[in-house]
Amino acid sequence: MDLGFSTEHEKFRSELRAWLSDNLEQSWSESLRDRGNDEHALIELRRQWQRRMYQGGYLGMRWPAEWGGRGATEVEEAILAQEIALADAPPILNALGLGLCAPALIHHGSEEQRRRFIPPMLNADEIWCQGFSEPGAGSDLASLRLKAVVDGDFFVLNGQKCWTTYGPWGDWIFVLARNDAEDRYGGISFILVDLRNTEGVEVRPLKQITGESEFGEVFFDNARVPRSQLVGETGQGWKIAMTVLGYERGGATLGPATELGTDLFALLRTCRELGITDTASRAKLGLLVAEWQVLMANGYRTLAGLSEGNAPGPESSIQKLVWSELDQRLRATAIELLGPGAQLSRHDPSARTDVDWSRNYLWARAETIFSGSSEIQRNIIAKRVLGLPQA
Amino acid sequence: MRFDISEDQQLLRDATRDFLAGECPMEAARRLAEESDEGYSADHWAKLAELGYLGLVAGEQAGGQGMGAVELVIVAEEMGRACFPGPYLDVVVAARALELAERDSVAADIAAGKLTVVLATRDTVWPGESGGATFADGRVTGSKAFVPFAASADKLLVTTDKGLALVDGPFRLDAMTTMDEATRFARVNFDNTAELLGDNALVEKANELGTIGSAAMALGVCQVTLEMTVEYTREREAFGRPIATFQALQHRMADMLLRAEGSRSLVYRAAWALDAGQSEAALMLGSAKAWAAESALANSRECLQMHGGNGFTWEYSVHRYLKLAGTLDQFNGARDEMLESALLAAEELASENAAGKAATG
Repeated sequence: MDLGFSTEHEKFRSELRAWLSDNLEQSWSESLRDRGNDEHALIELRRQWQRRMYQGGYLGMRWPAEWGGRGATEVEEAILAQEIALADAPPILNALGLGLCAPALIHHGSEEQRRRFIPPMLNADEIWCQGFSEPGAGSDLASLRLKAVVDGDFFVLNGQKCWTTYGPWGDWIFVLARNDAEDRYGGISFILVDLRNTEGVEVRPLKQITGESEFGEVFFDNARVPRSQLVGETGQGWKIAMTVLGYERGGATLGPATELGTDLFALLRTCRELGITDTASRAKLGLLVAEWQVLMANGYRTLAGLSEGNAPGPESSIQKLVWSELDQRLRATAIELLGPGAQLSRHDPSARTDVDWSRNYLWARAETIFSGSSEIQRNIIAKRVLGLPQA
Repeated sequence: MRFDISEDQQLLRDATRDFLAGECPMEAARRLAEESDEGYSADHWAKLAELGYLGLVAGEQAGGQGMGAVELVIVAEEMGRACFPGPYLDVVVAARALELAERDSVAADIAAGKLTVVLATRDTVWPGESGGATFADGRVTGSKAFVPFAASADKLLVTTDKGLALVDGPFRLDAMTTMDEATRFARVNFDNTAELLGDNALVEKANELGTIGSAAMALGVCQVTLEMTVEYTREREAFGRPIATFQALQHRMADMLLRAEGSRSLVYRAAWALDAGQSEAALMLGSAKAWAAESALANSRECLQMHGGNGFTWEYSVHRYLKLAGTLDQFNGARDEMLESALLAAEELASENAAGKAATG
């Protein structure tokens, strides 16, 4: 066993830490609290920050060299995610494009597609949305119905996508569309659509429980999309989507867990400061600490496996479940322990400035739903790990 | 980075599993726990000594194998799976404490199986009671509660007002029975000759091994109760199909897996951190013990529930795990104390750097 970082990894971390402290002018929490920043301004801040990260050489670190790659490993990717969380830097704006669409292009796209789409994606000149979920296809994604019919050099798209992250700011979207109604998995294609310049495409913001609209709905009404924007072959969409969902794994092992840890630490400091030190409260805090340690230990274990070249298995289901459910408990416990003050929104002058507990408490409710709900993750564990017989 | 254990460690795991399966299958473990006076087998102990298990973590100069927390965790996990009866961890911890107190020859006698020594550190049963041991003029007087397997001990390591004392037998004791019939606790009333060894803190250091060892036994319980539940629900039919096909049970078994795998990640990482002298070992140790023991309890309760009425019978062995989990949860670091110690360690990290640079732990 060896769960420590090597000297080279520690060197990478300290260079990165120095780079972050030189380049990050304002923490993301401060930017969020600034009343002058509306949702659009925050998107622009994130655009600028992504550019800087790209120029610093910290995007696409594991890709081929011509697309920004630097031969980095899963471990370095995990360190990057940790340090971004610790530095409280803005989240990468084009995370979905870089995380899902770019790998699809690198592994399944044409050279022409790569040259056209990857550079502006890296530089945040074009913001990408993910078009997988539909009103009738959430957990059961393969029941998606956005229709793609070939007409000469075009696909004609009809249908709807929803829960489209960054929809209101998106320039492009990669969709899974159905080209064959009879073939559940083999009748799906991976298609790139210009959200701004395609007739028949309309994006409507979707207001969520936090009052923000980072999601959107996208409507396709006889939208004509050039066939050159198909990735891979017709009918390969499901396979491509499932493959790319497994690519960016290193960052997921420790990034969210570290972010959770920084908020947990803030809660510990605040409870001390406010004199919340009774036995019952400390028992709750102690349990959160232990559960956070489970999350970190699972993360290091998975990362160790990835670094040894083990194919990622259903560990990702375990980590998604543990993280999302613990994050909800952390925020619910914070709201409970901190009392009425934690109900204040971040712009209220009496709000504490460490963590925006009320907003994050609400936001955390999404975490057990997106990227495979807790119920789906438990199904996966029951079936693939425990091998339980299916009804 | 590597989570997997080494080839040598894998051999140790296989050898331990084979030893336990051959020497002490569940029927034998239950007979010893439920019917014998000592609560364990002298024959097993002689073999454990011969194979080097009793001196596993003691240094070579103290007759031991000089292995670390990871190896102890490997052995203890198997013992938890097997409900192996007896004071294994207690004896190992005592040997380590004696080594730390520079009593290598006594530790070597323990490792060789010639001498049985366990720790007596708990003053009272309930909060607010008076109790405890005092040392004066070469004798220890007073009492200690919940001394494990005291009736089999030749000597006891006792925390006193003056420090840690090695107390000579024989002992005057009152047996204490708990809901776990495998335990052999006693209240020991002292008026015995003794030798003062040093600071009581010596025990705390050695007890880290008892704590991580107990956490590993709990991990073994977590894992085996999951396996028993999966096996039983696959066989047992209701409404014309195996009950394992019901999603209501599948999701609960998925949760059992989360507990077992979480405990595995945490216990082994904590053991590695102890061996590597990592500064965050205390955070991990408290978390591992509290979480693994609570998980062992939860998994054995779920195991019982999914065994239905059978799980409530004496005949089925599910209750052995429920009871073992309860003992592990409360001794060698009770859950509340462990959570408080993890919390204190986390608070220290949190205050060291208000920006939270330490949250990589």
